[in-house]
Amino acid sequence: MTDSHLSRRALLRYGAYGAGAAALAGTAASWDRLTGSDIPGRDDGSLVVATLGSAFSPDGIRALVTGFRRLHPDIKVRINAVQAVDWPDFFAKILTQIAAGTAPDLVYVATEGVQLFARHLGVALDPWVRRDAAELKEYFADVHPSLVESMMYEGSLYQLPIEFNAADMYVNTHVLERAGADLPADGWTRDDFTALLRRMKKANDSHFTPYFWTNRLWGGVVPWLFANGTNLLSESKAPGGSWLWDGFYPAARRQGRGGGFRWTTPQATSGRVEEAYDYLAALIQEGLCTRPEGGNGQNLIGVFSTGRVGITPAGGFWAGGLHLAGMRDGGFDVRYFPRWRTQRHQFGAAGYALLRTSKKQDAAWEFIKYSARLDTLTELFSTNQTTPARRSMLTAARYRETGPAHWRVFYDTLDSFPDTGPIPAPPQVAEVTQVLLKHTGTALASPRSVRPALRRMQGDLEQAMERDT
Amino acid sequence: MTDTTDTTDAARTTGTAGTRVRTVRSRAAAPSPAAARPSARERGTRLLAALFLAPTVVGIVVFTVVPIIGSVVLSLFHWNVIDPPGWAGTANYRAVFTDSTVLVSFRNTLVFMVFAVAAQLLIALALALTLNGRMPTWLRSVFRSAFFFPLVLSAASISVVMKYLFNQDFGVINWLIGVFGIAPVPWLTSEHGAMATVIIVYVWQQFGFSFLLFVGGLNNIPKEIHEAAALDGATGLRKHLAITLPLLSPTLLVASVVGIINALQVFEQPYVLTDGGPGDSTRTVVMVIYEKAFEQLRFGEASAVGVLLFVLIMAVTAVQFRLSRHFVHYQ
Repeated sequence: MTDSHLSRRALLRYGAYGAGAAALAGTAASWDRLTGSDIPGRDDGSLVVATLGSAFSPDGIRALVTGFRRLHPDIKVRINAVQAVDWPDFFAKILTQIAAGTAPDLVYVATEGVQLFARHLGVALDPWVRRDAAELKEYFADVHPSLVESMMYEGSLYQLPIEFNAADMYVNTHVLERAGADLPADGWTRDDFTALLRRMKKANDSHFTPYFWTNRLWGGVVPWLFANGTNLLSESKAPGGSWLWDGFYPAARRQGRGGGFRWTTPQATSGRVEEAYDYLAALIQEGLCTRPEGGNGQNLIGVFSTGRVGITPAGGFWAGGLHLAGMRDGGFDVRYFPRWRTQRHQFGAAGYALLRTSKKQDAAWEFIKYSARLDTLTELFSTNQTTPARRSMLTAARYRETGPAHWRVFYDTLDSFPDTGPIPAPPQVAEVTQVLLKHTGTALASPRSVRPALRRMQGDLEQAMERDT
Repeated sequence: MTDTTDTTDAARTTGTAGTRVRTVRSRAAAPSPAAARPSARERGTRLLAALFLAPTVVGIVVFTVVPIIGSVVLSLFHWNVIDPPGWAGTANYRAVFTDSTVLVSFRNTLVFMVFAVAAQLLIALALALTLNGRMPTWLRSVFRSAFFFPLVLSAASISVVMKYLFNQDFGVINWLIGVFGIAPVPWLTSEHGAMATVIIVYVWQQFGFSFLLFVGGLNNIPKEIHEAAALDGATGLRKHLAITLPLLSPTLLVASVVGIINALQVFEQPYVLTDGGPGDSTRTVVMVIYEKAFEQLRFGEASAVGVLLFVLIMAVTAVQFRLSRHFVHYQ
C-alpha cells in the first residue's frame, strides 16, 4: 500500500528544513553587505569624472575636488581614477563602463581618442565656449593654438587641452661624456644622430643600447615619419573653426588653422614612409637601437637612468619620472628631435571630454573650465609628471629641482616648429594603432622585410579606414 | 532462459552493451505503476538533493548558459556599445571567416595548444614519476610545493616579470647565456622565438596542475599490481608502459581535457609578453575577441569569434572523449 500522507516524523523533518531555510534566508536578508550602491558617489547625483589613474597624484586629485567644491558647493564630484597601462587600455575600460550603463560624465581623453569620442560620444563645447568667451580669453592666450586645434573635430571644439607632450629626445649626459661628445645642437640632423649613436656604442660595452624606442603610436616610428615629411595617413584640415580662432587668437597665430585634423588615405607604401622604415631597420641591424618589440616603456626609466641607454624619445613627463628614479638634474638633458627633411615634431595632448549621455552637462562644463585654470593646473601638475598646456607654467623654477637644463625645449617645440602636429588618430584609431604596431614589428625584422610588411600594412589600413567605427 | 534470449535479440538489434542491459532490465522487471511511484522517503531525498544542487545549477545557468546564449544572439547583431544593436544576420560570421587575423589566430592557438599541452603533460608526468620513487618525504614536499607554486600566481604578473627576463637587450636570460659566450637570443622578437617563449612561460606556470593530478593518480595505483609485475620479471620502463600508464590513463584523460580547454583559451601570457607580435605570430583567438570587442568596438564580430571558439572547444573535447574509449582503462 502506498502512503500518500506524510508520516509525523517526515513532517517534523520537513518542518525543520523549512525553519532552517527560513532562518538562513532571514539572516542573509538582514546581513549588512556591500552592493553597487555602496560605492561612494554612485547614484548620489555626483558628477563622475573618469581619469587615467596614473595621470594625477592622489594629492592632486584631492586638491582638484576640494578646490572645485569650494567654488561650486552645489555640485558633487566623484573622480573615477581608472587604472590602465596606456590610452587604448584606458579607452577600453571606459567603453566597458559605458556598456555596463555606468558611463561617467567627463572622461580624460588624449589625442589618441579625441576623434573617437567626438564622433560617437562627445558633446561639442562650442556653445559654452562662446557663452563664457570673456572668462576664457586668458586661457586661450596662454595655450598654443596647435594644442587647441588638435582637440577640434569637424569645426567644433571638444576639449580644452590641459597637458601635452611632444616627442623630443632625452640624452643621458653621462653616456655622452663617456663617448666624448657634446650635447647636440638645436638643428642637429638625422646623420648627426646616427654618428652620435655610433660614438656611444663604441664607448660602451655590448650590453649598452644607444637608442631605445617603443613600438607605439606616440614616440615610435611616427616621429621619424614626421621628420621625413610624411605621415601614416594623408593629413588635411577640416573646414570651420573660425568662430574660435577669430575670437581668441590674433591674426598671426590663427593663420592656417582650421576645424581640426583629418586623417584619411593610408600611405604606408609611399617612398618616404619606406625610407623611414629602412633607416630604422638599418639602425637595428647595426645594433644601434632596440627592436620595436624589445623596447617597452616599463623598463625604460631603469635602463636609461643606469646608463644602459643613451638616447630615447620622450616628453616633459619624463623629467619628473627620472627625478623620482633618482637621476640628478645634470644626469640627463633634452633636445629637439633631429632634422631629416623637416624638423616637424609629433605631440599628443589631453583634456576632458563631455559625454552626450551626461545629464549634468552644465555642471560638467564648470568642471572643465575649473580644471583648465592656472592655479588648478599648477597644483595638479606640481611634480612635473607632464608638460602643462599653459605656457606660463613652464618656468625655470618649475624645473630647478628635477631638470633638465634645456627645459625650454618642451614648449619651444610648438613655438619653434609651428608645423608640429598631433598623432594621426582618426576615429578608427584602435585598428590603425594595432595595424601600425603589428606590421612595424614585422617590417623591422630585417631590411628586406620592410617593403612586403608595408604593403600588408597598407592593405590593412585601407580596410580599417573603410570601416566605420 | 528468457533473459538470455532477450539479451541476444537485443544485442542483434542494437549492437551495444549499454542498450542491451537496459533492454534486459526493461523486459525482465517492468515496474508496476504503483512501484514506479517514489516513496515519501525517496521524494524527500530527491527534494533535498534538488535543494543542494539548486545553487550550482542557478550559478551555471546565470553565469554560463545565459552568457553563451547571449553571445550567440549578439553574434547576429552589429553592436558598438554606443549605438543600439542592428541586425546583422550572418554578416559577422562572413567577416570573421575572411579576416586573415582571425584565421591566423586560430592557427596560432592550435599550434600553441599542441605544443603547450604536450610539453605540460610530459613534464608533469616525468616529474610525478620521479617523485613517486624513493625520496625523503620532506624533499618530496619541497618539490611538490615548488612545482605547484607558479600555478597560484597571477598569469599577468608572471608575464610582466618574464618580459623583463626574456628581453633581448636587457634581459637576465640573455645575460646569463652570454656568460657562456652564446649570442643574445631574440626570445620575444622573432616569430618562432616569441611563440616558443610564450609556450615556455605558459608551461612553466601550468604544469603544476597536471603534476598534482598525476601524483594523485599514481598514489591510487595499488602497490600489489607493481609487486606482482616485478615477480613476473617486469622492470623499469616495461612496468611503466604496461602497468603505470594504462592505470593512469583516466587521470591522463582529465589532465589532457583540462589542459586543452585551458590552452585554447590562452590570453594573459601572449597579451602581456608579446601583444600578439611580432606581426600576428602569437595572436590567439581570445586576444582577437578582446581586441575586436574592447578596442575595435565590434562586439558582434567578437561574439562570432567567441562562438566559433566555443564550437572548437566542444569539438576537440568530444573527439578526446570519443578517442578515450580506446586508451583509457578503468580498474
